[in-house]
Amino acid sequence: MAEKGGKGFSLPPKGGKSSIKSSPLKEASIKGKDDSSTKKKGRKVQFDSEAVNFSSKSGGKDSPTTFPKGKGDKGASGGKGSVSKVPQPLELRIEQELPKNAKCLMACEAAEILEGIQDRMTTLSKDPSIKIPVSFDKGLQYAKRGSHYTNTQSVRRSLETLTKYSVMDGEICVIANVCPDNVDEAFALIPSLKAKRSIVSDPLNDVLIDLAMVKK
Amino acid sequence: MFFHIVMERNMQLHPRHFGRNLRENIVSKLMKDVEGTCSGRHGFVVAITGIENIGKGLIRDGTGFVTFPVKYQCVVFRPFKGEILEAVVTMVNKMGFFAEAGPVQIFVSNHLIPDDMEFQSGDMPNYTTSDGSVKIQKDSEVRLKIIGTRVDATEIFCIGTIKDDFLGVINDPATA
Repeated sequence: MAEKGGKGFSLPPKGGKSSIKSSPLKEASIKGKDDSSTKKKGRKVQFDSEAVNFSSKSGGKDSPTTFPKGKGDKGASGGKGSVSKVPQPLELRIEQELPKNAKCLMACEAAEILEGIQDRMTTLSKDPSIKIPVSFDKGLQYAKRGSHYTNTQSVRRSLETLTKYSVMDGEICVIANVCPDNVDEAFALIPSLKAKRSIVSDPLNDVLIDLAMVKK
Repeated sequence: MFFHIVMERNMQLHPRHFGRNLRENIVSKLMKDVEGTCSGRHGFVVAITGIENIGKGLIRDGTGFVTFPVKYQCVVFRPFKGEILEAVVTMVNKMGFFAEAGPVQIFVSNHLIPDDMEFQSGDMPNYTTSDGSVKIQKDSEVRLKIIGTRVDATEIFCIGTIKDDFLGVINDPATA
């Protein structure tokens, strides 16, 4: 008993439970427990849904806030809706994350540039103080493997036509690197394109046909 | 994905490097300092492709070192969340597998491998479908999607998934 008492002091909620258990009115205690647990759960759910509700309907209706019950119900339904929305498809946000003076390169373009540098490197590497870093070799290897096309310029030219349809530079490069076989594959792999599906679909299809022609 | 980007850096140079070869010395020091480094914002600096300009040097008080602001173009490689990459598998274990895309390491957990693929241990550990038609082992090429990145001082680690449409093995070394 002394130990339990000690526990009770250090951990108030546990102590409360243990004291209830030790009390002779077991049924009452179980009921009490259940009540408390359900209450807790209920509260938690409400808190969550309220939080979601506020964020999602911040500029929306003010009337529900005057009726607490109605608010609870609406909150629950709103919560469900938003929970199903949470696992959003991962979208590319290259433009937001990168400094403005950066230009996306397709793997085939990068391979061309790096191969040019490699030639320069071999002459430079006579100087023993300059080492070719590991990341250069790996980068070059990766770029070479990723370049699926015979003609880089024509790939860039045909993909550039998509910029008219507000396809971002980053998206264009991913299309080039992935080299999808059809429009569905492109949309599945680059979910950010789906928002513009209706306008992009046809021109993208033409571009993919062009790409297939210059594919290795 | 690769990027072409203009960056700026202040290079400190010892007076012994001054003279006719000043420019070459600055450039070679820049290459030594910058190539192969990694930052969260830019990713890996793969190679310097050109020098835009070298500004006027400023003598540092008391040391004699001179600081030159250098603007240079370089090719960087940085993975993004949501990007699709083609990577080569480097190690397979029961937790998942590691793959490499250029200088970047990617881990694909077994939770992010399709449920119909099971781990097979042995001297060549692999993930195989029940009918044996698809196999992921060392040196397999996989197409994966980046879902998370962590940047270290010298490395970038990514978490990838192949549990989605159009992702998975693209080239099997055993059958090729």
